[in-house]
Amino acid sequence: MDVSEVLAAHKQKFKSVTVEGKLIPVDYDLGLIAAYDQNPVDEIELKDNAQLLLNEIFQLPTVSDDNGIMAMLPTPTTQLPREKPLPKPKPETRWEKFAKAKGIVKRKKERMVFDDNSGEYKPRWGYKGINDDGTKDWIIEVPQGSNPMEDQYEARREAKRERVDRNEKRQQRNLEEAVVAAKMDQRAIGRGQRPNMDNARAMKRKELENQILISKAATASAGKFDKGLKDDLKARGVRRQFAPNVVADMSNEKSESMSILNKIVGKNGEDLVNVRKVEARHKKAQM
Amino acid sequence: MRPLTETETKTFFEKLAKYIGRNITHLIDRGDETFCFRLHRDRVYYVSEDVMKRATNVGRDQLISIGVCFGKFTKTGKFRLHVTCLDYIAQYAKHKVWIKPNGEMPFLYGNHIVKAHIGRVTEDTPEHQGVIVYSMTDVPLGFGVTARSTSDTRKLQPTAIVVFHQADIGEYLRQEDTLF
Repeated sequence: MDVSEVLAAHKQKFKSVTVEGKLIPVDYDLGLIAAYDQNPVDEIELKDNAQLLLNEIFQLPTVSDDNGIMAMLPTPTTQLPREKPLPKPKPETRWEKFAKAKGIVKRKKERMVFDDNSGEYKPRWGYKGINDDGTKDWIIEVPQGSNPMEDQYEARREAKRERVDRNEKRQQRNLEEAVVAAKMDQRAIGRGQRPNMDNARAMKRKELENQILISKAATASAGKFDKGLKDDLKARGVRRQFAPNVVADMSNEKSESMSILNKIVGKNGEDLVNVRKVEARHKKAQM
Repeated sequence: MRPLTETETKTFFEKLAKYIGRNITHLIDRGDETFCFRLHRDRVYYVSEDVMKRATNVGRDQLISIGVCFGKFTKTGKFRLHVTCLDYIAQYAKHKVWIKPNGEMPFLYGNHIVKAHIGRVTEDTPEHQGVIVYSMTDVPLGFGVTARSTSDTRKLQPTAIVVFHQADIGEYLRQEDTLF
């Protein structure tokens, strides 16, 4: 039995799904169910493009389940721009700078390490870790030449607290320097580079020196009768700068003095004397 | 010699405005020639641009005076008007006092003006207002500051001081060497 005629007749009822060849082939990104047509825009072609996209989708491998037949979309190929701006580069810390100069490279360490005592793997630090600093020792030997009555546990705790404090101070210093550097080196940040810390350090040093000078002069005689130390910090005076005496265009000076005058006398021609105040006083005197 | 800084200009104008108010404009922006204020050894000079340019050729130590001295800055940064500026501020004065011939001599010797010596006063002169002192023949003699407003003056006794002395033309003789 030949059904080709029946099929052909059935097919006749529907519109053709084939689309004539495009001048520039259409790009697809089926992951995003998108087609990119570079050809000049035409209303009829828009329908064709939709047809092309659907044709592509129907050629994809399918899976069928309770919800029906579904096409498996590939991973999208189009690069979408990122939502958030790029993070600003962080300024170098002192350690990073030193490490770079020395060529020290950060190595990745495993989180779990073998503990010889218990014979099993334990975290390098943290809960149930191996870094208990010996604080879990139930007995500590008194070191040679130290006070036998001293609490060795307390001494350990003290030492650790000091280490933490020192580190916090360094962190603070890095932050302060970073703020100065970020302020100074906007150009590098604009290029997406780390700001230069060298100037920041010099600037912070200068700021500190100024503060020292101020505090030094804070005596009864404002530093006039204080004996200075040898090679001590010396205050650098402020250099005054005046406008040039002779300029080609004198109108600038004129307009400047006019603006000062306007500030003093007031815009509407009223004078320095507060008329209202004078009147009030006059009335009071008459009463 | 240098132009005045902003703060200097401000203190200077504030003092000048007590006598001539907004008329300072006429000093800054004259129709005929460009004039400017210049500071030299704490003194403020009112000079034409032309003279000022020539004066730049004179060394700082050699330059004694240029143009018209308007006054000087004190060491505490206040400004004091000199009698040399009288010609300019008399032109634009807002408030005036005329003194009788018998009061001229005491004023020119540097004394304050008492009520008995006053011939005429501009109406509605407030208290502590800068005034120009004229003789009855309209010759400017100096300037001062009112002690009382015009209305208050009426109740005063003839010996009461009405205008405080600021500068008078007698200073041309008395302070000859420091005036300019």
